Parts: sequence; C-alpha cells; structure tokens
Amino acid sequence: MNCRLLLLFFLSLTISSFSQLKPENGLAPSLLDKIAITNIDVYITPENKIENATMLIEDGKIQKIGKLVIIPDGYVQFDREGMTAVPAFVELISDAGVSKAKSNYSGDYPQLESSKKGDYYWNEAIHPELDGFFGLNYQDAFFEELLKNGFGFVAPHQMDGIVRGTAPLLALGVDTDQKTMVSLRQSMHYSFQKGVTQQTYPSSLMGSIALLRQAFYDLKYLEDYPKESIGKMSLLPWLQYRNLPSIFHVNDKWDILRAAKISEEFKVPFIYATKGDEYAIAEELKSKNVRLIVPLALPKPYEVSDPYIARSLELSDLKHWECAPYNYTILNKQGLKVALTSRGIPSGEFWKNIHKLIQLGAKPEQVLASLTTIPAEYLEIDSLLGTLEKGKYASFGIYSKDPFLYEATLHEAWNLGQQKVFSPFIPSVLGRYSLNLKNKKLEMKVEGNPQKPSVNVVELTNIWDSKLRIYKKDSIQTSVKCKISNQDISLEFNFVESNESKPYLLTGKILGNGSIWEGDVLYPDGSWGQWSVIRRNKFRDTTQKVQSLPSTLPNIWFPNMAYGNEHPLKPASVVFENVNIWTNEAEGNIDRGFVVVEGGKITFVGKNKPYFPPGAQVIDGSSMHLTSGIIDEHSHIAISRGVNEGGQSVSAEVSIGDVVYPEDISIYRQLAGGVTAAQLLHGSANAIGGQSALIKLKWGAMPETMKIENAPGFIKCALGENVKQSNWGDRNVVRFPQTRMGVEQVFYDAFYRAKKYRSSWDEFLKNKASDPALKPPRKDLELEVLLEILDGKRFITCHSYVQSEVNMLMKVADSMGFKVNTFTHILEGYKVADKMKQHGVGGSTFADWWAYKFEVNEAIPYNAALMHQQGLVVAINSDDAEMGRRLNQEAAKTVKYGGLSEVEAWKTVTLNPAKLLHLDHRMGSIAVGKDADLVLWNDHPLSINARVKLTMIEGVIYFDEVKDLELQSRNKMEKMRIIALMNSKSSTSPVKQPFFKKSKRFYHCDTMGEEGTTQENLH
Amino acid sequence: MVKVIPAFLCILAWNYSTAQRILIANGHLHPVVGQEIVASLVEVENGRIIGIKNAISSTYNPQDWDTVIDATDAHVYPGFVAANSTLGLTEIEAVRASNDYYEIGSFNPHIRSQIAFNVESKVLATVRSNGVLLVQATPRGGIVSGTSSIMASAGWNWEDATVLADDGIHVNWPMPWEGGGWWAEPADKTINSKYLEAVKDLERFLQQAKVYSESNNPTFDARFQALEGCFKGKKRIYFHAEELRQLADVLEIIDRYKFNYPVIVGGSDAYLLGQRLVDSKIPIMLSRLHRLPDNEEDPVDLPYKLPYLLYKMGVTFSLQNSGGMEAMNARNLPFLAGTAEAYGLPSNDALRAITLTPCEIMGIDKDYGSLEVGKSATLFVSRGPALDMRTNSIQTILINGKLESTLNFQEELYLKYQKKYLKKN
Repeated sequence: MNCRLLLLFFLSLTISSFSQLKPENGLAPSLLDKIAITNIDVYITPENKIENATMLIEDGKIQKIGKLVIIPDGYVQFDREGMTAVPAFVELISDAGVSKAKSNYSGDYPQLESSKKGDYYWNEAIHPELDGFFGLNYQDAFFEELLKNGFGFVAPHQMDGIVRGTAPLLALGVDTDQKTMVSLRQSMHYSFQKGVTQQTYPSSLMGSIALLRQAFYDLKYLEDYPKESIGKMSLLPWLQYRNLPSIFHVNDKWDILRAAKISEEFKVPFIYATKGDEYAIAEELKSKNVRLIVPLALPKPYEVSDPYIARSLELSDLKHWECAPYNYTILNKQGLKVALTSRGIPSGEFWKNIHKLIQLGAKPEQVLASLTTIPAEYLEIDSLLGTLEKGKYASFGIYSKDPFLYEATLHEAWNLGQQKVFSPFIPSVLGRYSLNLKNKKLEMKVEGNPQKPSVNVVELTNIWDSKLRIYKKDSIQTSVKCKISNQDISLEFNFVESNESKPYLLTGKILGNGSIWEGDVLYPDGSWGQWSVIRRNKFRDTTQKVQSLPSTLPNIWFPNMAYGNEHPLKPASVVFENVNIWTNEAEGNIDRGFVVVEGGKITFVGKNKPYFPPGAQVIDGSSMHLTSGIIDEHSHIAISRGVNEGGQSVSAEVSIGDVVYPEDISIYRQLAGGVTAAQLLHGSANAIGGQSALIKLKWGAMPETMKIENAPGFIKCALGENVKQSNWGDRNVVRFPQTRMGVEQVFYDAFYRAKKYRSSWDEFLKNKASDPALKPPRKDLELEVLLEILDGKRFITCHSYVQSEVNMLMKVADSMGFKVNTFTHILEGYKVADKMKQHGVGGSTFADWWAYKFEVNEAIPYNAALMHQQGLVVAINSDDAEMGRRLNQEAAKTVKYGGLSEVEAWKTVTLNPAKLLHLDHRMGSIAVGKDADLVLWNDHPLSINARVKLTMIEGVIYFDEVKDLELQSRNKMEKMRIIALMNSKSSTSPVKQPFFKKSKRFYHCDTMGEEGTTQENLH
Repeated sequence: MVKVIPAFLCILAWNYSTAQRILIANGHLHPVVGQEIVASLVEVENGRIIGIKNAISSTYNPQDWDTVIDATDAHVYPGFVAANSTLGLTEIEAVRASNDYYEIGSFNPHIRSQIAFNVESKVLATVRSNGVLLVQATPRGGIVSGTSSIMASAGWNWEDATVLADDGIHVNWPMPWEGGGWWAEPADKTINSKYLEAVKDLERFLQQAKVYSESNNPTFDARFQALEGCFKGKKRIYFHAEELRQLADVLEIIDRYKFNYPVIVGGSDAYLLGQRLVDSKIPIMLSRLHRLPDNEEDPVDLPYKLPYLLYKMGVTFSLQNSGGMEAMNARNLPFLAGTAEAYGLPSNDALRAITLTPCEIMGIDKDYGSLEVGKSATLFVSRGPALDMRTNSIQTILINGKLESTLNFQEELYLKYQKKYLKKN
C-alpha cells in the first residue's frame, strides 16, 4: 500500500478519539467506550476458542481478552453467559450501495469509439478511475442483510467493466457514515467482462484479454512518461491504486488460468473471485498456488419430475450440481487459500449454506477463517480485523451458541465497539434447580431449547418396601408447563396427592443472570404463598446441532461431463498388426503391415513383423485401415466465449490461444470422427482477425496441454462479405471497410503502421544511448503481431472467396514484403490457382459448399482438384463442428469432383493440412519418429462405410469404439443416479433452478459475440 | 437411325434427343423392388419402363431402339427424391431477393410452392447431377407453412416439371422451448410457457378446417379449402416435429382428427416413441443425418444410427436433408443414405429410404421410386455405386423417359478453367 495513503488511513481511524470532527448540534454525544463482556465463549482466532471469557473493549478495540481478566473501574459490563462471540465476517464481493453502471451511448448504430469526454482511456471498459465510495448509498438494505448474517465489513465496488476501479472498506452497523467508511480504497477490481459499455471492442473474451494486457502496458508507459496523453484520467488513478489488493472476477474456472497468465506477465498478484466450479481443476490451481474467493451460494436442484426436461438436462450441469457443495472442501484439501463470499445467497439462507459445508466435511475453523482472517489477509488489513486479538477492532457477533456447531441466533452485532441488538439477551434458564414450596423441596430440571425449554420437577420420597421392610428412596417426575416472556415466568404442574391430581400455579421473575427465580404461588388448597428456585448447576444448550452427513466426494471426471475420463489417460505401447496402412509417404499404402507405437511416437512401420515392445497392447487390424489422424485446418471448436473480435477491423492482438476451452463436447465427437489436431481459427468478422491456436484433441487435458508445443504462430485474416459486414443487417454500415476497395486499404494501412512502429523503435534503440531523454514508442500489441508477419515469424491463413480479393491480398503481400501462407475457403481459388502457385500459397477449402451467400455463387466443388492440379498444397477443412467429424467423407468428394487419386484425396485432410500448418515434420503421415496420432478405421477411410474404431494421439487412445459404448451406458446411469439424488428427500428444496435448454454453441467464421449460433450461418 | 451412345456421352445427347424408345443396356440394376441385376436391359418407351431383362439371358437388337445407352460397368438407379426441400425456391440464401420459400403469417395452407419453382435454378442443376431427380418443393415458416408440390429436377417451366401438384400441407408443430437472441447470440431456451396455448390455436384451426370439409355448402375459405384434401382426399398432412414431447402430441392429434395421410417430418426423437409409433403406422421423413446429437450425453453417432433404430422397430421412414443450406446440400442426399448404411441399415433399405419410401409417403409410388415395368422411366446411370462419394458419378439422366443434362454450371466452370490451365501449360 502506498505510504501516504496508509498514513491518512490511520489518521481517519483515530481522529474520533481526541477531537470533534464536525460541529455538534447540542452537546457532544455521550460515549460508551469502555466495555466489558463477560462469561462469553469467544473465537479469538479461528483455531483458538476459549470458554467463559471476559473481553475488555476500549475505544472500539479489544483491550484484553481471556478467562482471568480483572475488570477495572469504569467499565460497563455485559454478562453474556453461555453465548458465543465470533469475529465479524468480511465480505469481499459486493455491489451494495454502489451506483449502478449504465452506458451513456444512445445512438442507433454501433459505437466504435468511447463516448467519454476528456483524457480517459480510449476504451470504456477500462475505468480504474471509478471509486466505489463515490455516491455510495449507506442506506442500502443489503448492508443490513450482511450485518444480520454476521458480517462486519464489506468492500463494495461497481461490478462492471474490465478494469473496474476501487472498493472502499465499510464497517457495518456503526452510527455515522464517517465511521462506516473504514478506508476509501481497499481493493481494486478486474474482470474479463466489458460490462454495460456499448463500445464494439472488445466483443469477445480474447478481446478482453488483449485489451487488459494492452492497458497494463499503457499503464507502465504512463508510469515512465506521466505527461503522455494516453488516458491520464484513467491511468494515473490506476497507477496510484494498482498496488491495492487486486480482485479478479472470473466467469468460470478456465478464466482463472487465463488471468493467472496476466498476473504473471505484469506481476499483479490477483485474488480470484470464482464461480464455484474450481473443484474440477483443483490440482492445476494448486500448481499455480492461486488465492481464491469462492461462492458459498450453491446451485439449486432442477425440476426433474418432468421426464421431458430431465432428458434435456446436460449431464455436466447435473454433475456440477452434485459437486459444487464439495468445491470448498476439495480446494482446501489441495491446500489452497480460500475465502468465502456470501454473494448470491438468498436472504435468510446464509447459515444454511455454512452448515451445509460443515455437514459435508468442512472444518468449522476453516470456514471461520474463510470469512474472517483470510479475507482480512487478502485486503492486507489483518492487523486490524479478522480476529479478536488484543489491539484489533472490537467487531464480532454474539450468537445464542456456537453458530458453526449449532443452529444459533445472532443476538447482537458489535462493530468498532458499537453494539447493535437484533434480539435482546436473555440469560439461559437451562439447568438443575432446587424449588422451594411450602413443605416441599423439589428438584427442577430445565432442559432443551432455552426459548422453549422442557421443565420437569422431581419429588424425592421414601417408599416403604413391605417385603424388605425398609424405606426405599424413589422419585416421581412431573412435567411442568412453562412460559417465559423476557424476565417473566409462569409454571404450572399437578401433583398426585392422596390419589388426586392437585394443581400448583406459580408466577414470578427470573432474577439477574438467571440463577434465582422467585414469585407467588397458588397452592391446590387455594392458599397463596411464595416460591423460589436456586440453580444448582447449569446445562448447556445442545439442541439443533449441525449433524455431519455421511458423504463421500463425488466422482469428478476429466472433463467433468458426459464421456469424461474417470482417470487421466496415459500413453501406452501399442502394436497394430495385419492392418492396411495409409502411410502418406513415398511407399504408399502397405497391405497387412505393422505399426509400432512407443512413448507417444511411431517407432516402426513396415510389412515385416517387428520387435514387439514388452507389455505392448497388440491390436489386430485385419481388414481394417490405419491412417494418420485427421487435421482440421479450419476449426472453431473448443473456444470460450467468442470466436470473433469483430469490434475493430484490425485485431491482431487477440489470440484464440488465450481462450482454448477443453470442455467442448465437440472435442470428443470429432475424436470419434478421427480428428486428432486442429487449427482453432479466429472468425472472419474483420480484416485482420486474431492469432490461432494449434491444438491436439486431447480430451480431458488442460488448455495448455492441448496446445501443440512449439507450433508456429498463425493469424487469421479475412476478405469479402463478412469483413465488410454485408449480411449483418442495415445498422452495421459504419465500420470501415464496407467495400472490397476499403479492405485493401485496411491491409495497407495496418502494415504501414507496423513498419512505422518498427522504424520508431529502431530509431529509439539507436539513439537512446546518446540521448537519455529520448522516449521509446508506446508498446503496441497489435503492431507487434503484424511485425511478426512481416518478419515471416507468423503465418497468415486468410478467409477468402472471390478471385479479385485473393489476387489483391497477394499483391498487397508482395508489395509489403510478406507472404500469405494459406487461403482458407478460397472457393474461387480455381480461377487464380496459377497466381497462387506463383505466390507460394496453399489452399484450404470446402469440399462442396456454396450458394449460401453472393460471394460463393461461383464456388465449385472441383476447386480442390483444380488447385491441386496446379501444384498447390490443398486441404479440405470443416469450419463446422458437425462436418468436422466426417472430414473423411468430405475428402472423398475430391475423388468425385475432379478425380483426385484416393491417396491424394486422403492427404487433403492429413498430410496437406499438416504442411499448411508447418507441422508435417511431426504429423500428417505414418512414419518412424512422427507423433503417434493414428486412426483405425473399420473400412477404407474414404468409403461411405468408414467408421472410426479407435483414435490415438501421441500414443494415448482417446476414442475407442468399445469403450464408447461403455461410456454411453455409464453416462446414462450417472444421470439417473443424480436425478434420483435431486428427487430424494435430503435435497428437496422449495426453490428450483429454472431449466434452460442450452443453445448449441457452435462457432462459425462469422459468429459474433460471446455466444455461438444455433442456426444457419454464413461462413 | 440408331444411336448407340456410351453413358458418359449422354451429356452431348440430351439436348437434341427426341428418342421415344430407349434401351439402357448392361448396367448393374438397383431396382429397389426385387433383386439387383448385375447386367440388365431396361427398356423405355414413351416415358415408361416397358421391360426389364437380364442381359445375360436376353439379347437385343439395336435396330429396335431409337437410342441404346451402353451402361456396361455402370449402375442404374431410380431417381433419388429430395423430400421436404426449398430447392428451386431459393438461389442464394443471403440474398433476400432470391428467396421464395418463407411467407409471412402463421396459417398459410393455401400458399403453393409449385408456382414459384425455378426450373432453371443453378442450384437445382447441381443437385440433379448427383442423381436427385425429384424434389418436394416445400414452403417454410409460420405454423402452417403452406402446400408443397413434387417437381422434377428438370423441365421447361413449372407446369412441365410438376410431378404432383399440391401433394400436402406442412404444419410446424409448436416448439416446447422458446429462446431469445438472434442467430449470432442465441439465448438459452426456456420452457415455452405458451406451448399448450399454441397447440390449442393450431387445433382450433384444424377443427374449423375439418368442419369446413364436412359441410355441404360452406362459404369459400382459401385456407380451409386447401386443407380439405387432408380430411377427404389423398392430400398428405406433414407434421414437422422433432422432440419427444411434440411427437407424442402429434400422434395424439393425428389419432383424433383421423387424417387420411398423416406424415411426421423430422422425428429425431421418434425412436423413443416405441410401439405407439409402430402401431400408428405413421411414416417419418427423418431429419438430416449429418447433424450433431442434441444432448451432451447422446451417443456421438445417434443421428447416423436413427434409420437403423427405426428399421429395427419396423417404422416406415424416408430420409431428407432439410436444415442449414438445404438447397445446395440436397446433392448430398445419396450420402445420407450411405451413412445410414454404414451405421447398420441394410443396403437396399438405405436406397429405398431416398427412392421408393418417400414416393410412397408422398403418394407417387405408383409411378416413381423404383425400377419396375410400367413405372415412369425416371432414372440415372452412375459410373459406380451412387451412395458413396467416390463413385457417385452420374452419366445419364432420364426423367419421365426424357434424357436430361447431367451438366451444371459448376462443371462448366471446371471445364472452362481446366482449359485455361491446359493452354497455359
């Protein structure tokens, strides 16, 4: 924390003790500032609970606490016998009292630029200057709700935008707004969600990531050159407060890994406010040692009594419902630091949720720490709050009993030494008493719930035993009707005397701490008298105990959804024998040959029987075909929240690599179609789109593991109708370019800018030694990526249709000194195949798509063949999650249309895409030393009868026809098991989660926004 | 003068052929009904098949025929049928002006696709080139989208191309789910709280139509009039429905209204209906097989296996290809049948599902759908098995006994640019 700020902060805390802050109307208020609370059980820290303690409070702070504390003069005493004090909780995630964000743009057309006037940051989603305390509504009802749940502190912020601004720290339940504000700025907040701004950029998760990174670079730049006009009004406050505890709000568990990369890059230690699904990657999170704030709120059960709905529920959602309550425990078991937030919990259910955690195995002290010491530590304010140690704030709740072990009531909330009473303290009446009546000494037992105790009187008598001829002691127990109202008490019971039931009616008062009661009694004979009881010993209230439930951690699959693996998969040694091998190499196809796989690589290919590695699995491939895995050069599967950063015409800075999504069922489905690798491309909504991710379809792996190691960099460019927004409706007519003429100029402009950027850097580096005052150019992520293209370090895959634009881009490239690596779609490639050959570009095309928009009016299925005949490297791609799983059929169409040989046809989905992706040294054919990415087919792979028997990536079998059947029935059983659980009594909940049938989110080239499309689309 | 032409030269023959008597000789015959004949003689006269013989046991005199087409080593199939398609009603999806299949309004049974069918559609020609010779041109949209007609994939005008006008009415069963958003940003779908209401609306409409059809002298109403044939005549009523809930309700309404020829179009959940569906004897025009499963845990190949599942149940079904880019995609209809075969459906049943069965469902099986004596000579010759991509290569097309072009503008562009490069090299 900034030193100056810290000083101010302490001043503000102590000021009330020695001076008058503001003129008072009348006399200075009377202060109650020396307090002793006695006979109370206290959690001093989560691990240290002491019973029957005395707590001394002075000037809002704990002065002394312990069992043997002598109360000095001048202290007002509060006897809280039998009650439990728990340190006040700290809520880190809230927007209570903070003004709501709203967009101030009201135009009819897309908003490309910021609507804020002044030297603010150019993008409206970056507003670090926004302070949560500004315009704070102290009367927000939610503060009361928090207080009632045991919270004493909250740090609310405006939940909007990517760099959101600061949150103050508020103390709840204190008497003035001044005291409420403990600190003006206690945390800084971040997210990947742009929020309410209408500005078009960013329109995707990867755009948000790129924007945040650029903003951090700009921040650094402004730190060095504070006079630069690059958004001072936003960046200077950010500079000042960036070292505040930084809380990053994620949308799901994968976002944590994404934000963690930024955390590492810019050395900002983020604390992650999560969604509660982290259990599935707990180990991975442990390896990053992240600090978490997880929700206490749990998903509600679905209405599953309707079988039509039950059928449509996704297994992943059901599994999440089952696993989510264990999230907290699983993360703790990993040794991660975890705070809890009450955000999202319906009113009155906070403690229910706490108890649920404890019932399922969370330790009470752990839960308490997650609400107190850990949040305090996150906020770097643990020297002042979080525990009830000496010197810390006297901020705690007083509960009827230990609220973690019992269902308890919060009687009082104390904060900064100020008391707020929810229900008055009534001393516990539980215990064993002596009751004195006229001529009778009885014993009275008061047990059970202190509010509604069960009372019995016991009369001790001596009974003559005629056999033994002695008196025997005996007792007669009589139950008593008892009413307690505050201090008043009435008792009513009957004694059998001389075979008659005789009523005794007592009324009176509970005195002092409850150990003596006395009052008047109406005896059965109609006479009045006095009665009294004296407590012999006390009973503790042990009703409403939180029972732990027998429970085992649910099975978590990798990924935790249908077809997930129960254990991480491991590579094995495998021998394929007697199989038809499509080598894609000079030797062509080998009939009834052998392929050996060891250590993830192919170690033998041939006709003669090889050495079998020990323990190798031998697969008989008789009458079957073995090929290298299919590589989809153009895919949009496995991507989180947006395939297009369409907010600007040039968005080279964004990267699909940042948003790889391992839980897309398409991964498994495509494995079942023999796909082993894919280029995940940015969409085609703008001229220079974003960087690709080259992945292998390792189902169940982490995003970084899916990415192909040392794969070359690629970037998507696009031409034509999508770039000029031709089919986006009548409103989308303001983004440049709207014609092919404009598209050309966008490319020229981008690369001119990149070159200029390079020369300014060159100049700076050359002259900085001689001129120390020289400023470097501002780091520009977009231009640096463009420079990679110019340097031949990043390859272009360009979405393209008509020949004019294809020709144009090659001319632009030639004149600017770069190469286009691949034209994708390239449906009029057949018209300019000769020119493409000259440029040295390959083509990756559809087998037979056309007629979906004007620019594909002359697309012909013979395109692949014609390009191939001109010597181009030609691939067939999918651009479609459905077609991606039968690319073998699509490749076969090149035999029909244009007469490719079968071997050449097969290469269009294997070796040729590998070449286009510069991965053919390790993929695309069956050769010794290459990755064991193999597919076993029941039949000729180009035949309509071909089905995948088995798909292997780097020696790991990810799809197996036989295992698939087992998984199908396992999925069904798992689904019905969880549905039964939902229906069972233990989980009946009056509130059901409304069911939403998930839209199928399959991305295509021109899918805009963070959601995929269910409907037809233009590619 | 007799012309004996190899099948692959029919490209040249079609536009001047006025042949009345055509013999297709030595082709591997896939008649759909009856045994395959490895070398066959198919005799055509005045548009009809007048004889089918085995070339091994029969001989022929070329002089008896106007044209003899030599189909040696090739395969002869009845024309494939693209049921439930917008083919001929659209040219370029993204160009609004080229779309003629979606009328506004909820109840449009009187809208007729026949008169909008574009015989010169460039898309249509590419589909014909893959063996699809009949099209059920079908309107879309609304609750009752309109009346389809069965059209030949070639002709001088729509009248000429009409195989059966106004074969049936298309009803889109209300959706049990509703969802917002637009195509690029769909929202999750919620349960359609108005589903029952929507079903009631539809039912009210059908009820009125039924009363109209039973009245002796009703005041003319174009909508009800269009539906009359569904109650009284041979007109089909096609219920488009996919999900279990919808299908169950469709079965119920069909039972109640006693339509003469009800059909379910879609039916991706039909395999779950069990004996109820079998007993109802309602045929299904099954959804596009090249489709992803609906639910995460569905078997990955569920859509591919559906034909086999229905076949095992004993349900009558055909295949169709409606869905994204359906007009241009209609040319892949043969490969849907091929996929069904790969996933368990017996070979002849796969072929039947895009030939005779759809003709039976639509009511044109007397003349179309199989190669039998007396039926229309609507057939093609393919260089190899036509349900496989590699070997589907159509060389000769006869529609109602008339030779039609196998060429399309895509092939013309191919030949044109081939020449460009030949010259260059």
